[in-house]
Amino acid sequence: MDKTFFSVFKTFFKIGLLLLGGGYVILPLLQSELVDKKKWITSDELVQYYAISTSLPGIIAANTAIFTGRKLLKTKGAIAALLGVILPAFIAIILLASIFNEIVRYNFVKYMFWGVGIGVITLLFLAVAEMWKKCIVDKFSVAVYTSCVLLALLTDMSPAIIVIFAVVLGIVHAVFFNKKQEQKYD
Amino acid sequence: MIRLYLLLFAQFFNIGVFSFGGGYATIPFLYDIAQKYNWFTVKQLTDMLAISSITPGPVGVNMATFAGFSTSGILGAAIATSAIVLPSFIFVTIVSKILDKFESNIYVKNIVASLKPAGCALLSAVGIKLLFTSNLHLIGLIILATFVIASFKKKFDPLFYLGVSAIIGISLGYLNLIGI
Repeated sequence: MDKTFFSVFKTFFKIGLLLLGGGYVILPLLQSELVDKKKWITSDELVQYYAISTSLPGIIAANTAIFTGRKLLKTKGAIAALLGVILPAFIAIILLASIFNEIVRYNFVKYMFWGVGIGVITLLFLAVAEMWKKCIVDKFSVAVYTSCVLLALLTDMSPAIIVIFAVVLGIVHAVFFNKKQEQKYD
Repeated sequence: MIRLYLLLFAQFFNIGVFSFGGGYATIPFLYDIAQKYNWFTVKQLTDMLAISSITPGPVGVNMATFAGFSTSGILGAAIATSAIVLPSFIFVTIVSKILDKFESNIYVKNIVASLKPAGCALLSAVGIKLLFTSNLHLIGLIILATFVIASFKKKFDPLFYLGVSAIIGISLGYLNLIGI
């Protein structure tokens, strides 16, 4: 299949439809559609885009889609991929949201949401456990985690301020780390 | 009205700029919005989370669409959704242009190494706060603990936890055990 704005859009729309339970499954979906079936990019390129996407701010699935789209068709491809991947999400929520306010009045739905609330908190803790494995790797990451968790729980600081605080910690660590290495070579 | 649109745009653009670590990383920000503005409540946020876990697409996009829609209709939804992905577009474009420099720079490496645990910390804090503010009762806590322990043994699909907890909620509700 040729790489046109429409074909890129269609491919990513299909991926967007299959993105259930959050954006975490975008990597295997892209692998099967873009690498195995269409052979538009290589597996190595895809994993690299994904890794960088996870360390950039924003929604990982959107970042990955933009990266891959850029590789395929420059800015045009990036726009097609981004639109394709978010449109199914957008439409699904608009359709549900219109009936949402009416259905939450029923007891049945109230009970169901009470139960689902437990499931959601479970998923949050499982996501934390999953992130923990990838993020908490040394003393520095433990220190960042602990200080940020305390700030978030004990103060009214907005998450953005806490993220900036983490950036400062990273820079301080880099300076310190550089010094230590220089001392080694003295 | 225009002021509301601008505020929506600013708040979700802010999420796009500052949330590190994927879809769930947007939750602390939405929690913050729920407390500051009367766009949606914390209770609605939990409901929104449940809905977005069973609909297609990244959770962050679902949340932005939902929040925008419940505040000011389809236009609000479009504004919030564009606002949350616009920073991605800008960042990815810049980064893909300086890709080579990006990976070897020691400052960038350290900042990235620091942002990941920070994202994890923010999410943990929301989990803990939700635990205290949701009206779970002892019975809910027992179910939660059972789920978490079960996940050590075997990993289930997100749909499994949501489906089972929905059925439990409905059953307990009709048995008058959860007091709503």
